[in-house]
Amino acid sequence: MLRFENIVKTFIQGETKTRALKGVSGSVHRGETVALCGPSGSGKSTLLNICGLLDMDYQGDLFFNNQKISKDLHLSTKIRRERIGFIFQRYNLIEAMTAFENVEYPLILSSQSKSERKQKVLSILEQVGLAGHEYKRPDQLSGGQQQRVAVARALVKRPALVIADEPTANLDTETATVVIDLMRELGATTQTTFLVATHDSRMTERCHRAIYLRDGLLVSKEIEHLEPQKFQKLTSGAKHAEHQIGMV
Amino acid sequence: MQSIKLAWYNILRNRRRSFFTILITIVATLVLLAGGGFGLYMYQGLEEESARDTGNLILTRSGYFELEEDYPLQYGISAYKDIQQQYLKDEQIKAVLPHVDFQGLISNGEKTAIFMGKGVEHGEFLAKGPFINFTDGRALSSEVESGSDPEILLASGLAKNLKVGVGDIVTLLSTTTENVMNAMDFKVKGIFSTGVPELEKRMIYTDVTSAQSLLDSDLVSSISIHLFDIKQTADKLEQIQTENTDVEVTPWWVRAFYYRDVKNLFDRIFALLGIIISLIVFLAISNTMGMTVMERTREIGTLAAMGTYRYEITRNFTLEGLMIGLIGTLSGILLTLGLIGLLNFANIEMPPPPGSTQGFPIAINFSLELTLLSSVLLTIICAVAAWLAARSGSRKPIVEALSYV
Repeated sequence: MLRFENIVKTFIQGETKTRALKGVSGSVHRGETVALCGPSGSGKSTLLNICGLLDMDYQGDLFFNNQKISKDLHLSTKIRRERIGFIFQRYNLIEAMTAFENVEYPLILSSQSKSERKQKVLSILEQVGLAGHEYKRPDQLSGGQQQRVAVARALVKRPALVIADEPTANLDTETATVVIDLMRELGATTQTTFLVATHDSRMTERCHRAIYLRDGLLVSKEIEHLEPQKFQKLTSGAKHAEHQIGMV
Repeated sequence: MQSIKLAWYNILRNRRRSFFTILITIVATLVLLAGGGFGLYMYQGLEEESARDTGNLILTRSGYFELEEDYPLQYGISAYKDIQQQYLKDEQIKAVLPHVDFQGLISNGEKTAIFMGKGVEHGEFLAKGPFINFTDGRALSSEVESGSDPEILLASGLAKNLKVGVGDIVTLLSTTTENVMNAMDFKVKGIFSTGVPELEKRMIYTDVTSAQSLLDSDLVSSISIHLFDIKQTADKLEQIQTENTDVEVTPWWVRAFYYRDVKNLFDRIFALLGIIISLIVFLAISNTMGMTVMERTREIGTLAAMGTYRYEITRNFTLEGLMIGLIGTLSGILLTLGLIGLLNFANIEMPPPPGSTQGFPIAINFSLELTLLSSVLLTIICAVAAWLAARSGSRKPIVEALSYV
């Protein structure tokens, strides 16, 4: 479904060059929920941005359904519009729009009819438990409700891939669990692939796989069903991380 | 439709800022329409005054206005009564008035002064309305009793200089068409004020026949044709010129030097005012939209991440600018209409303009052309300012925009 080969990303600030990704390769299969783990500055958000076609300034190759993605701005926008959904750490809902309109927006971009849009939006809002909250604006919703709107917005157009950047970072445990389960359930029914950057062990526990990054390098891509204690050690950037991964 | 809805939501988002931005557009529209409308009112007044003064069309012998006469009525028109009869039948023509222009000396028997005279028919005072302001006496009679002296009207400055009043006799001395000096006595029928200081000391009016007798001629200098509707001038000009190839027909605007000078001056002032107002609106909208774009950078990033094309993001902001412009100009138009109504009701008098002794009521003309031009101009300025601000915002890399705090 999604394959990235030898991805190198360099940030240039003045005369300083920083390599955030140093030749990362990996793949995510259709319907999989894959966690992208690693300590802060490990490059997971950078990789996530590249996989989500938000950042086209990189070296290496990206394949979507075995088709190489060109770095053309218009084409990448078209792919995002049609096939990729996003969930952000800070929800990023459009403040001027109601919950209904926020969720409806991706459908407007895909030129669906008004009646079709209405039916889909109401259905997914009900699925995320926000029936009755359709016409509230983001500032009238709690953090958890906002993130549920964001999940609904990401999934309403039935994208092939959902990119989620720390989706539970701003949520309390209970709400985070609800959002994670929601993503899993909806993902399973729609065969959506999730690539989730997270520090949250609860999130990783519920993923099919975890890809671990450190200092811009892929340390392991086959960490399956991590136990919380081991995950904690990994994401805290322990000195012997590679050794521990070897033990998994 | 969704874009319009979103633009409207965003205008409502920061109501205070939107209100002040719209207020700037309202004031700009009001200033442009009220200033322009007042200019149009002045132009209209000057046009009517000029056309009334000279006649909508002036019939002369060819070259009359360019050439200097060697003797009085050298370029005069003969058989003016035939022309008068011919055009008085036309329903669009209000009056056909002959004029005899002449100069000479005026005396009260003790003191002599220079005069500028105009021989007019009694109808001049009926057709042109109150074009002179009588301070004493009345207009020339339609017919002078036989045996009586012909009548004369004196400008107030001249009457004061000669120390004469209504009923006094003055003598006019002028050269005839045969270059012989001729003198005639006239009875002062009225004293008038023109409002123009230079004319106050020189101007006299008498009847055409008496002026012709003084000059010993049956010609007239020019014939003025007055129309009921000033807008018919161009059509009538063509018609009358075609019908009378031996005379030159001059429209009023060619001889309206004061009107042209004033219009040129005010056109420039209003153009400058328009440029300044447009610039203020542009800067105000640029500032507002620039702040809006900056505040919504993360939102722009989110929209772009979801697959909104750059042009769609720019379009949404441009629509906001367009809406602000539309709301502002429409409100400005309504406010201008209210102001027009208020001025009509209040009837406020303006002080006399330079060179005049009479004030005039302040009013604003409503012009559809000016309204459309101002509204379209201001709305486009609002949209362009918003577009420029949004253009730079939408070009920010998505990742950078998403991480903007």
